[in-house]
Amino acid sequence: MSNLFPKSANRLPLQIIIYLFVLGGVATAGVTYYMTPKYTRVGYAPVQPVPFSHALHAGQLGIDCRYCHSYVERSGFANLPTAQTCMNCHNQIKTTSPLLAVVRQSYESGQPVPWVQVHQLPDFAYFNHAVHIARGVSCVECHGRIDQMDVVEHAKPLSMSFCLQCHRDPAGHLRPRDQVTNLAWHASSPEAQLEMGTKFVHDWNVNPPQTCSGCHR
Amino acid sequence: MKRKIVHPSPSQRELAGPRYWRSLGELASTPGFKAHLEREFPEGASSLDGVDRRHFLKIMAASFALGGVGLAGCRRPESNILPFSKSVEGIIPGLPLYYATAMPLRKSAIPLLAETHQGRPTKLEGNPAYAPHGGASSLLTQASVLDLYDPDRAAAHTQNGAVLTPAAVSDLLAGIGTKYAPALGAGLAFLAGESSSPTRARLVRELRTKYPNALWAEYEPVADEPTAAAAHAVFHRNVKPLYQFAKARRIVSIDADFFHAESGALYYAREFAKGRRVKDKDDSMNRLYVAESGLTLTGSMADHRLRLASSHMLALVAALAGKVTGDPIYASFAEGLDVKPEWIAECAADLSAFKGESLVLAGAHLPPEVHWMTHAINAALNNFGSTIELLEVPAPEAASIADVAAAIRNGAVQTLVILGGNPAYNAPAELNWSELQKSVTDVVRLGLHVDETGTLAGTQIAAAHYLESWGDARTADGTVVPVQPMILPLFGGLTEIEVIARIAGQPNSDPYAMVYATITGVAGGNPEKAFQRFLYDGFLENSAYAKVSVDFDDAALKNPAAAAPLPSLSKDHLEVRFVTDHKMDDGRFANNGWLQECPDPITKISWDNAILVSPRLAKDLGIGSNGAVLQVARDETQNFVKGKEGAPIAEVVLGDRRIRGPVHIQVGLSNYTIILPLGYGRTVSGRIGQGAGFSAYPLRESGTPHVAVGATLRLTGETMVLADTQEHWSMEGRDLVREANFDEYRENPGYVKEEGMESETPSVLDGPVGVQGGNMTPAERAAQIPRGNSLYVTPKLDGVHQWGMSIDLNTCIGCNACVVACQAENNIPIVGRDQAIRGREMYWIRLDRYYSDGRADAGAFGGEGNREVPEDPQISLQPVACMQCELAPCEMVCPVNATIHDEEGLNVMAYNRCIGTRYCANNCPYKVRRFNYFDWNKRHIDNFYMGPLGPDGMPELLKMVKNPEVSVRMRGVMEKCTYCVQRVENGKIQWKVKAAREGRPGDVVVPDGTIKTACQQVCPVEAIVFGNILDPESAVSQAKARAQDYSLLGYLNTRPRTTYLGKLRNPNPRMPDYNALPFSRIEHNSKSIPAGFDEGKTS
Repeated sequence: MSNLFPKSANRLPLQIIIYLFVLGGVATAGVTYYMTPKYTRVGYAPVQPVPFSHALHAGQLGIDCRYCHSYVERSGFANLPTAQTCMNCHNQIKTTSPLLAVVRQSYESGQPVPWVQVHQLPDFAYFNHAVHIARGVSCVECHGRIDQMDVVEHAKPLSMSFCLQCHRDPAGHLRPRDQVTNLAWHASSPEAQLEMGTKFVHDWNVNPPQTCSGCHR
Repeated sequence: MKRKIVHPSPSQRELAGPRYWRSLGELASTPGFKAHLEREFPEGASSLDGVDRRHFLKIMAASFALGGVGLAGCRRPESNILPFSKSVEGIIPGLPLYYATAMPLRKSAIPLLAETHQGRPTKLEGNPAYAPHGGASSLLTQASVLDLYDPDRAAAHTQNGAVLTPAAVSDLLAGIGTKYAPALGAGLAFLAGESSSPTRARLVRELRTKYPNALWAEYEPVADEPTAAAAHAVFHRNVKPLYQFAKARRIVSIDADFFHAESGALYYAREFAKGRRVKDKDDSMNRLYVAESGLTLTGSMADHRLRLASSHMLALVAALAGKVTGDPIYASFAEGLDVKPEWIAECAADLSAFKGESLVLAGAHLPPEVHWMTHAINAALNNFGSTIELLEVPAPEAASIADVAAAIRNGAVQTLVILGGNPAYNAPAELNWSELQKSVTDVVRLGLHVDETGTLAGTQIAAAHYLESWGDARTADGTVVPVQPMILPLFGGLTEIEVIARIAGQPNSDPYAMVYATITGVAGGNPEKAFQRFLYDGFLENSAYAKVSVDFDDAALKNPAAAAPLPSLSKDHLEVRFVTDHKMDDGRFANNGWLQECPDPITKISWDNAILVSPRLAKDLGIGSNGAVLQVARDETQNFVKGKEGAPIAEVVLGDRRIRGPVHIQVGLSNYTIILPLGYGRTVSGRIGQGAGFSAYPLRESGTPHVAVGATLRLTGETMVLADTQEHWSMEGRDLVREANFDEYRENPGYVKEEGMESETPSVLDGPVGVQGGNMTPAERAAQIPRGNSLYVTPKLDGVHQWGMSIDLNTCIGCNACVVACQAENNIPIVGRDQAIRGREMYWIRLDRYYSDGRADAGAFGGEGNREVPEDPQISLQPVACMQCELAPCEMVCPVNATIHDEEGLNVMAYNRCIGTRYCANNCPYKVRRFNYFDWNKRHIDNFYMGPLGPDGMPELLKMVKNPEVSVRMRGVMEKCTYCVQRVENGKIQWKVKAAREGRPGDVVVPDGTIKTACQQVCPVEAIVFGNILDPESAVSQAKARAQDYSLLGYLNTRPRTTYLGKLRNPNPRMPDYNALPFSRIEHNSKSIPAGFDEGKTS
């Protein structure tokens, strides 16, 4: 009787086992990475339609965050500046710079500048800027040192565990309310921060929600 | 000066999230619309189009940088944030804006505040500045915002099928004006709906001056105000009554459904509740007598309800007038009345004891003689000036639809302009309007939809919705209110006043300018300031109709010739009563899904109307009389299978006209009156309204528009299934709604505690109501009396607020406004007729309606059980939403912790965690959890079972009505009432932000009244109170501290945060139909207390 299977078939079981292991490994790695909160966009720095540099404007020139993100203290949403806001200065400075062509065009045509969103939460998470600012949480806590970035990048994971870390123990992340937009500010020492933060938690009745209703509606 | 309206663009968040605007252009079937669209949403329309190659590479580059694999792009697609090009005053992205406007309906309007999110109105609330309504609104106003986004609206102006540009429409209308100018309007006729708009009245006056020979007619198929003749004959002036229910302690309603069908119903319901609300035993409580042929919500509140045919109302009111005034002139009218004389005598005696504090009113649909007599009674009781005010109203000048029909038949009409309305659907049957309209050469029709009338008209002009219009209107008391646009017309629609102005050849037909001219003309002072004030307040101060005092003249009554013999009714000679539908009104809301699905407050049928017949008539007809068993108030005689009501189809014949429709047995009806709700059976409507129910209009003639006599009903042998959302009629002797008579309450305000399971087995874990733990805070209670022996951790409930709700069953009128308000606020989808039949409606709050007649369950202990469907039951209404139990049974069974408690006592749902096991719904004793069986928001309503194979996506326009503060749920997740958690959280946030800005960062407790749930805000009678139960001064704490407070199924130890205040009835002990105990109590007692057991116990 002739061989039903070629000789190479002898290696098949081993091949299958190795293949399954590899497949399983890749699947596990993929799931671990992509389907858990660990997967975040840290480092994401898309190219923006206008090469706006926060390092220049907020860092070197020292323009306050709220000059452009003007409603961040009132609205849940930190608005982006209108082209008009840019033109407040840029109708005097660099009026012909080709880098600003998009802004000038937007100002004239009424079409918006299509900024690419960097920090993005899922639709079912309702983050509110105003209340965090009001309670002494600095921009830097979630956005990192924007004032040192030429191109804005996603600095912190912004995952649920990231949020909860602070909501469970806010003392380490609170600062005097007049220093909220001063990204360079920090307490003199970690101990000082903790002491100050604890005081704020007590005085301001800071009791961040840790249940679903805080963020999910 | 014309104010430029700068409309806000969509917010960045919206554009970054689901791209609502992206494919709106798909709807743009006409270039005109497209142009409008571009103007309206400059950002959204053009810059969000697909991603080009260069862009794609950019994304990919970012993705590669991130993970090395391109999958990053799959997980989170790149999205854009589109700020305004130029800053817009007053717009803060992410925060809603509120504008004052009003919803006009016939001769009245409801002042509103519209909530707009970046330029799209999403929710309407009553304008709290308008004191008579106090911020409340109604079912129809809540749903009207959906009409704005109706994808079936007339999307273009057309002439014989061809699209007209706005310029062409303008020319066409001006052309009509010039064409008829030489003949002073001869050959030109207008047919409009009623309106209270001062601007329209002014324009019509100008139109009549310019075209004296033109015919101006107005037609409304339903009447919500008595005719002018009803008052003029006895007062000799043009006045209309305005009732002051709050001052009335004895009220007699003669077939008047003043909670719903009368103009000013919202104000009336509110004032009625003021006289009804009993906070402690020293308060007084009004008493309501109702005589009616159908069963209305007003009748369900009655302390004494008399079932009587509408055609016999004249006799009843005459008998009553005879008793009250002692004048013999009424006797001839009262002959042949079949009502117990004691009923009338005692009712009259009760009224007479409250001179100046009583009120007798008659339904708008009743003949003028009835109104003359109610006026006579009120005059004799000195009620004018106290409980009734007479308002001087403009004299009616318009011709009727019959005049138009006659003119058309005489060939005197060449051009017919139909403004709104839908005469081809709802004109009196004998006019044969469709044929008439076709015989006119030139018909121009302004309409929101291309409907029955529009399809027959040569020229159809798309109308603007009131939320897109500049206009004005008057409330029921005459206060002038603005109608402000929230958005530019989505389909380039025109307003009525624009059309009239253009035909009249006004130099400026801009509606804003016209309203400005009208208002500043009336207001005086600095016009600019006055107008801004008008828009800001949402009403014009002191603009109500003048209150006049006039003498009653009974000369008209001294004419016994008017007395006709009462029709004798039998099963072969039925009375037909045409009623304004609760939801469809006269048919104008037929394509509104929220209203179609909302169950009728009494019949609980959704998506259909039915021929309502009394149990007696049903028996005569041989339906529903076989197989009755013990507990008959649960109507086992009808063919019910899980919400599917198998209704026999019958034919109603009246003269030589006939209609067909399903029959529904309705208790509480006059024996031989059949009720036909109007507004259904639209043949040209839209994907929602088409085919829902039957139209009763083909049976209606001009002479008998509301009540007709002489009909017969014949069963056809066919049946159809009705979507009945509450087939269960009875509480089965349980203690769900706890009731007492007012007299008993005064002796024992805590009667609720002695009724029901808690009186035998009190809740050991109870909250403010119960025996133990009543004085503890929720946190103390949670710590000291935890959930017994459970593995589950008792929630700590240690937040600074503890939310709770109290619902006053004594004032709840069951109007369903909360149901639709909740739907609008919380993005609750409609599920369609087919799914509603399967009981899958998604309402977070429902209104349970129970009947009791005192006999059901008498058989439970061997007595004689009731074997008949009750004819004269008492009605109990109860709104039920999630109780937010402190020890919620749903939480224990959730395998994935998707429903848990928050610190402040809310039982919250995390949709993104829910895996849809539905254990929670099974374990909920209140049955308030709703499951998304399908992607209601994504799939088409008639194609759910096709799944992904079916057409995808909801019309883009419908997405615009969604509240951006609430997640839109997907298939497979559970949902339920959240106490409007978005309002709670935003209220807390706004308060903290404000406090911090004012230098009080430690102040985190939101003051009482800041946060209102949607159901609370809409409630016309303020039956719902929500707030912080930790604050003893809060309204909700005060309500819960009242003696009538009880928990629904409290003995289950769930510690519900929503509690109820028991219902009271205030019957007159001298009346022949007096009952010492409410029927539901009798049923409860006969079920719970066997004869001879516990002799001493009486409750």
